[in-house]
Amino acid sequence: MPGQKITIEYNDRVVRQFLLATLIWGAVGMLVGLLIAAQLNFWQLNFALPWLTFGRLRPLHTNAVIFAFVGNMMFAGIYYSTQRLVKARLASDFLSALHFWGWQLIIVAAAITLPLGYSRGKEYAELIWPISLAVVFIWVVFAVNFFWTLARRREPALYVALWFYIATIVTVAMLYIVNHLSIPTSLLHSYPVFSGVQDALVQWWYGHNAVAFFLTTPILGIMYYFLPKAAERPVYSYRLSVVHFWSLVFVYIWAGPHHLLNTTLPDWLQNLGVTFSLMLWAPSWGGMLNGLLTLRGAWHKLRTDPVLKFFAAGVTFYGMATFEGPLLSIKSVNALAHYTDWIIGHVHAGTLGWNGFMAAGMIYWLLPRLWNKPLYSTALANLHFWIGTVGILLYVAAMWTSGITQGLMLNATIEHGTVLAYPNFLDTLTTIRPMMLMRVVGGTLYLTGWFLLAYNFYRTIRGAAPVNGTIEVYEETPNPEARLSLARAFFSAPTLFAVLGVGFATLWMLGTDLVSTAGLVGSLACLIAAYALIPSRSKAWGDWYEKLLLNALPFTLLTFVAVAAGGLIQIIPTVLVQKAQNVEDRIQVPYTPLELAGRDLYVSEGCYNCHSQMIRTLVPDVLRYGDYSRLGESIYDHPYQWGSKRTGPDLARVGGKYPNIWHLRHMEDPRAISAGSNMPTYPWLLTHKLDASVLPAKIKVQRMLGVPYGPLSAQQIFDSADDQAKGIAKDLRAAGAYVAADTEIVALIAYLQTLGKSVPVPPKAAHP
Amino acid sequence: MFKRLILEDSSAIYVITAFVTAATIFCTITWRALRMPRAEVEKFAQLPFTTDADERHDPSA
Repeated sequence: MPGQKITIEYNDRVVRQFLLATLIWGAVGMLVGLLIAAQLNFWQLNFALPWLTFGRLRPLHTNAVIFAFVGNMMFAGIYYSTQRLVKARLASDFLSALHFWGWQLIIVAAAITLPLGYSRGKEYAELIWPISLAVVFIWVVFAVNFFWTLARRREPALYVALWFYIATIVTVAMLYIVNHLSIPTSLLHSYPVFSGVQDALVQWWYGHNAVAFFLTTPILGIMYYFLPKAAERPVYSYRLSVVHFWSLVFVYIWAGPHHLLNTTLPDWLQNLGVTFSLMLWAPSWGGMLNGLLTLRGAWHKLRTDPVLKFFAAGVTFYGMATFEGPLLSIKSVNALAHYTDWIIGHVHAGTLGWNGFMAAGMIYWLLPRLWNKPLYSTALANLHFWIGTVGILLYVAAMWTSGITQGLMLNATIEHGTVLAYPNFLDTLTTIRPMMLMRVVGGTLYLTGWFLLAYNFYRTIRGAAPVNGTIEVYEETPNPEARLSLARAFFSAPTLFAVLGVGFATLWMLGTDLVSTAGLVGSLACLIAAYALIPSRSKAWGDWYEKLLLNALPFTLLTFVAVAAGGLIQIIPTVLVQKAQNVEDRIQVPYTPLELAGRDLYVSEGCYNCHSQMIRTLVPDVLRYGDYSRLGESIYDHPYQWGSKRTGPDLARVGGKYPNIWHLRHMEDPRAISAGSNMPTYPWLLTHKLDASVLPAKIKVQRMLGVPYGPLSAQQIFDSADDQAKGIAKDLRAAGAYVAADTEIVALIAYLQTLGKSVPVPPKAAHP
Repeated sequence: MFKRLILEDSSAIYVITAFVTAATIFCTITWRALRMPRAEVEKFAQLPFTTDADERHDPSA
């Protein structure tokens, strides 16, 4: 029975704040992207300044567009739609404000520290540990605010957009925390707890699902709310949206290993990654079709309505990018595309097309509603759409062409596959230069469109009064029969069959002998029992599922179980196998103190953004870079540095390939050694003094992480570093270069010269 | 227990098991979605519009 009528005023202030932040950080992030794209064409744009080099700015670009641009856009969309879907104001104005200002503070801190070279050295996870902790804290603030609002809702049913938001919140929290587990060595530096293949797997479990659960699921929620609103008709198929959600959430989390194909990652993980990636075609295209078909009967509106134009194109780009992703996960395609610009083109089809256009559509739809004033210029918004579309197409076409060219040239062989057709890496770079320039043109057009949006935004809100939406609703007493306790959620037949079934299947896959047999028997028993009970229990199970959709907490926890399963099944065995006693063939030698200092410089300068350290099990890779990389050769690397892109050549076995003087001259002026190179110059490394005082603390943490350093005293560490540095300086002096032994370049050379210097595993250790 | 993961080429089993597990979940959810009563489907699909008629935009304080 309806109760008292009350008026609710939504907290739209925080939505406006996040919208403004989206506009500003979007421009900043894309501007940095444009600069680094230009740096690849014109190395002079690095300005020989440490904080303006490509290696330091590329992390700033990726973090800015992911966490600052899409992050702020996501928060605006989630807060606006959630309040309306649950008919309740956000639970806490204080938490909303803390969320907004805390997030902006994090972005500013990242924008300062990344160009200064403070980095964890893992892609999209570069923020140093104090900022990472702040991210976790603010994410918890967001989660509390969101779930508290759900708890106060006046609409019992949870619309599918809210499911996507819930999955986003719990999964991002899990991914971020696990991938950022580190032990600090100082206030500004830490080492990740994982190393080598473990670190690679955890990183791409995170990295792939940052795309899935930060750039996709929240935007899908936004699509399911804003697209029907803009088209003024309900979603094409609510049933399809249900299938879309569950299959996407379950499948996405497993696909991370496709970023590590043909590497030393165990084969079973690579195959799992490929299988689940291919399965992603179904839910992704189901979602895309559901979005586009929502426009049925409203297609004519696209001619005049820029909002629908952006949404239709955004959803189409989602479909294109999610077709391309599984395609790139096929091992043979991946052998061609990985480490090339094709991946950059794929990523930008998603970010510029899907995220950028959905953001633009949402902003144009919200502006008149949040400021109660018509959009300043529909014509400008239409112009934005067309300029942006042409920009994306130029960008993506350029990167496809460039990437496929790179892949074909680098993999080409002659003499029956025994000799490289293009042995000089720079031949490829010279060939793709026109495409790299076209990328700059495409990016400039896209950014121009964004500035048109900014101008339209400014002219729309100038002189307008911000308004908050209000509604009148009846307070209703919750129906106690609809409540589902946590115990009933977990100790119910559907949950138990799902958990036990997956658990037994895992034992079957991973176990040996009796454990494996028990797993197989258990899996079959679960399947048979579930099938046998369907006729008698299907109604009760159906009622349980209907109740689950009305109870946010059990729904959230079961969603968490679904996403956590994928990660745990992949990561736990890998963590257990990567021990020195399990490694075959070759094993890494721990770095000397000076080499470790050089490695930290390598990470700090962001060398991993252009150079991989992973020779794949592919003939062209082996012909070009040497024997393929072994699992044990990066076993002590905290963080791993396998990389994901080869703008320059692989460095896994560069140690000893060139004399010390070659490296010094190359870092001082790459073009003096490699004509046509686009690598920045690093003159400061020749003058900056190495801070060796931090080495004892670093080695102490390395030892804690399992790297077999002996009981070295601080003085022994200093002496070791000093002796090795003097040896390198002496060698450089003999070759005609006068560099002080305590400069950073000496440490970096020490590190580069040790790459690939592993030792054979003693037979006893290999087969205990 | 886990050693054979890197020592043996037994990866086909993982692919099959993974596919069967995912396919089972996909089919179960599809079956549930198809069995949702039409009235309930329409109610859910209309949720974004339930406050439209009532919502006003008042100048914020």
